[in-house]
Amino acid sequence: MNPALITAAYWLQGVILLYFLAINSTYTLLILFALKDIIRHSYLSTSSGARRLLTADAYYKPVSVIVPAYNEAAVISSSVRSLLNLHYPEFEIIVINDGSGDGTMARLKEDFKLGAYTKPVRLQVPHAAIKDIYVSADYPNLLVVDKENGGKADAINAGINISSYPLFCSIDADSLLEPDAILKASKLFIEDDELIATGGIVRVMNGCRVKDGAVIDIELPKSTLETIQVLEYTRAFLSGRTGWNFLKSLLIISGAFGVFRKDMVLAIKGYRKTVGEDMDLVMRLHRHCLDSKIPYKIFFVPDPVCWTQVPFTLKMLRRQRNRWHRGLIDCLINNRAMILNPKYGAVSLYGISYFLFVEVLGPVIELLGYLSIPILYLAGLLNTRFVLLFITVAILWGISINIATIFLDTYNFRRYKKNRDILRLCFISVVEFLGYRQLTLLERVRASFSFRETGWGTQKRQSH
Amino acid sequence: MFLTRLTSSPHFYTFLYIAICMLAAFNIFEVLFLLVHKRRVEKAEAKKELLKHRITTAVITVTDPSELLPAPKDSTDHEAYSEAVASIIGSFQGEVAERAIQLIYKLKIDRYYQRLCKNPVWYKRAHAVDILSALKLTRNRDFFPDLFKTETSNDVKYRIIYGLSLLARDQEYIYSLCKLLSGLPYLTAKYTEDVFFNAITALKGAGREAEFKFFLKRIMAAPEILTIVKRDCLSACHAAGCEQMDLIVMEYYWTFQDEPEVMIACIKSLVSMGDLAILPSVLRHKDWRVRLTALKSAHLCGPEVLPALKDSLHDTNYHLRINAALALARFGAEGRAILRGEAASPDKFAADAARYALGSAEAAA
Repeated sequence: MNPALITAAYWLQGVILLYFLAINSTYTLLILFALKDIIRHSYLSTSSGARRLLTADAYYKPVSVIVPAYNEAAVISSSVRSLLNLHYPEFEIIVINDGSGDGTMARLKEDFKLGAYTKPVRLQVPHAAIKDIYVSADYPNLLVVDKENGGKADAINAGINISSYPLFCSIDADSLLEPDAILKASKLFIEDDELIATGGIVRVMNGCRVKDGAVIDIELPKSTLETIQVLEYTRAFLSGRTGWNFLKSLLIISGAFGVFRKDMVLAIKGYRKTVGEDMDLVMRLHRHCLDSKIPYKIFFVPDPVCWTQVPFTLKMLRRQRNRWHRGLIDCLINNRAMILNPKYGAVSLYGISYFLFVEVLGPVIELLGYLSIPILYLAGLLNTRFVLLFITVAILWGISINIATIFLDTYNFRRYKKNRDILRLCFISVVEFLGYRQLTLLERVRASFSFRETGWGTQKRQSH
Repeated sequence: MFLTRLTSSPHFYTFLYIAICMLAAFNIFEVLFLLVHKRRVEKAEAKKELLKHRITTAVITVTDPSELLPAPKDSTDHEAYSEAVASIIGSFQGEVAERAIQLIYKLKIDRYYQRLCKNPVWYKRAHAVDILSALKLTRNRDFFPDLFKTETSNDVKYRIIYGLSLLARDQEYIYSLCKLLSGLPYLTAKYTEDVFFNAITALKGAGREAEFKFFLKRIMAAPEILTIVKRDCLSACHAAGCEQMDLIVMEYYWTFQDEPEVMIACIKSLVSMGDLAILPSVLRHKDWRVRLTALKSAHLCGPEVLPALKDSLHDTNYHLRINAALALARFGAEGRAILRGEAASPDKFAADAARYALGSAEAAA
């Protein structure tokens, strides 16, 4: 065999080994940081402050809840009803029908008695043309905007222009907020003047029982595909984002549930039209504040809860992961000035580096690792014993990270009450490595080579 | 090659086998720990709820509840006592509240949390301070200032000041709070406002609201007190619904003519006290934020403000135009007549605002 190829194969193995050690150490460290943060949070979070907000009218900031909707006829009414039940002294709900073709607008008109809304709108950020604005006769704080299709970012920009309040919360149309979610998130803006954006935890609604727009019975979904996503979401939010909080490098506030200071979002000219608009916004907020030397904070809080539907078919899952990965790459390209740039401090050193070297390059390296096994085997260069032991260590380490994540969830929040559910999640921690991880890996690699595509694709929804 | 040398070493495989065994054992341990921890927490929570129920019942129904209740043994018991008593104090006054406080003293719950205030971990100290504050113990008046002197974390110091604010008794006490606050970096407007809100509420509870008036008078010209802190004191007056402060607030209004934020706090307080005398002149103030504050209450004034409202419809600021239109709509027939005239104005922005306000008024009617 060509000696150069042999050398290359050895180098590849070395890189994969280093990558494996780096990525698992990062996850382990994030878990430890998250554990520290969650313990601290459990000591400091008291409900008395939140109760005070409800009773004393001087102590809150009104919030505009912006709900972009594209072909959401199946879920839009129950989502809006859930939002109307929010426990908050003063809020408005702005639903943006982004050129849906499935009767979303007709459903809204029928269910909420919409009439013309004449308040002049201040155009502060650009967006596609608005056809009409409506206000509900039954709920004066419910506004519906009917506009030309322009994508999610464009729809939220329209909502920002129409909003009347200093804080806005963007949520997905298929998501349900717990009644106190906005209260818990907006309280932080009162306690800290430097806070410009925050996000709560997004949990998986599949499998839960929903009544009148509220999750009333929390259970794991029956299908393995959906249950693995429960584990993934828990890991991403509780260990990932809480860990990034600790490092002051949080780069994503989920598009499904985030609360922002409107003046800061206007200062960066609103959302940019991209498939990863949520991450892009947070990265640009970091950039703007660091460039302009504005003291600021962006952090994740683990107790305001938003429930969302996750894909229930492989096709939908692949499409979603492809979109997420394209969004990630696009955001990094758009904010490339922040890569390894000391001017951006911890955000660049930890957050951006992690997303670039672990999330973007990682899938390619991991795939090369898988591919190298048959190649090295055929070339007679494979140390089978080493490879098997290495894979075993990798899987066991990954499982321990997953179980630690489940522990983080049960330590303070205990959403899944039944031992059966906890044990199933532990079992799923093992199953995740047997096919699911490889499937999402392939999709991410595919997305790496098609990141210029801007399509969202359509997602099927199950009515709540 | 390093990797070849590594994988051909017999120790390397021994190490890998050990790592695999340890990881497998760790995973099993994690699952067991997870379940045991969950069970323990659930048991502790059930025990706490039961104890809280017993404490509440005993305090409300028995003259000496300490005879009936068990002495606290662990942190869960202490939490149950503190939470139950804090809840009773929040709901009851007089004999029952006093009995609850005596229970805390007899069972030395306060001593437990005072010890916890010396914990090396700052958030545990903060937690203990929060609990002691919620109990509103008069002994905290002596304990908290001493703790403040030795405390190193500002996060805890802010909580100590908050706890002290719940026990305010006179202007001297509030002034000393103010000095403690001045020694720390300014946190947020709402925090400062909350501290003074607590102080006013405590004074009102004791029938001594006038003490806050004397305090406001004392700090008005005090250079050592930040202007934003003075503004927060005035905002607290508004939030706490003070009724006897109109003269001193008016004095602030005329003294701080170059501080729009202080003026805004004054206007809000005066309006909430029913004093609208300054509003007509404020509607033409140079700072748009001051004008906006006045516009929000302008409909309560007499017809002398109508010309200023009409002019505000043509302001360059969006918020001012909308609020001027809404104020006119709330004004009755005269205001709506102006709006109808302006709805045909060549100034598109004024016309839009007028039409919107007319539509809102019709919808409300």
